[in-house]
Amino acid sequence: MRPFNGGGEMIREVTRDIVTYADPPARFEAGTPPIIESIGLAAAIDYLSALDRDAVKAHEHDLLTYARERVRQLNWLRVIGDAPGKASILSFEADGMHAHDLATILDREGVAVRAGHHCAQPLMERFGVTSTTRASFALYNTRTEVDVFIEALAKARKILG
Amino acid sequence: MDDSLRELYQDVILDHSKHPRHFGKLEGATATAQGHNPLCGDRVTIQLIVDKDDRIADIKFEGKGCAISQASASLMTDMVVGRTVAEAEKLMGGFLNLVKGEEVEGLDEDDRERLDVMAGVSAFPMRVKCATLAWHTMKSALEGGPAAITE
Repeated sequence: MRPFNGGGEMIREVTRDIVTYADPPARFEAGTPPIIESIGLAAAIDYLSALDRDAVKAHEHDLLTYARERVRQLNWLRVIGDAPGKASILSFEADGMHAHDLATILDREGVAVRAGHHCAQPLMERFGVTSTTRASFALYNTRTEVDVFIEALAKARKILG
Repeated sequence: MDDSLRELYQDVILDHSKHPRHFGKLEGATATAQGHNPLCGDRVTIQLIVDKDDRIADIKFEGKGCAISQASASLMTDMVVGRTVAEAEKLMGGFLNLVKGEEVEGLDEDDRERLDVMAGVSAFPMRVKCATLAWHTMKSALEGGPAAITE
């Protein structure tokens, strides 16, 4: 198979008339390999391996339960997806506020969410929405950060409402 | 509150997005185009009636999207109605420069002032495409193309 890309390490010999390529896999791996990424990946694996997985799961579940409770008090917000045992994510739509406007305001308040159709357009159709806003909770988040998120939602409501 | 947010979501913008002008279907349209932003799902349909003097006699838009895209469509339709196609295109050129934070030249002071309410978008590069969707769609309709896509 001919190489699809030229660069360092994929060549064997080049003369004025003939080019021969290295054997696979080097033939298809032109240029500098992702050295830094590999080191980063190893560090990430070390970090995750050292964690108590059950404790992480419990912490993330606690954040979701707490956020779900706080959000229940906002009658202008509709949570989408409440399946038991779901991962620690909270998707919702808000009255009179488009997900992207909401995300912009939350961002300025230091809260990063994802907004849009989440590469799941058929699911959006199933729920009768064009887009949702989604907050995700991870092991490094705290209940205080959930509070900041709720306050930012109220602020967005004030600006857009 | 963050000044750039206040600038982005100023009253005029929110008013346009909540009470869009020229919203709906246009009977007897001579040009139509649909615009779509596949990344965020915004959709807009622009319909125009261009008369024999190349003047935009009427224009309407329909669509769903964020406050920025709806306000931009509303403001655009409000500003181009009654103008020639060439004037509308000149306005569009100025608008595109404005939301990208570039120098705006060659616009009347009144036009410049009306468009200026959208200037806050330039501080939010992610949102520029929301603001330009309706304009690209109008251009596509005027050029006889079926669809515009911004991403």
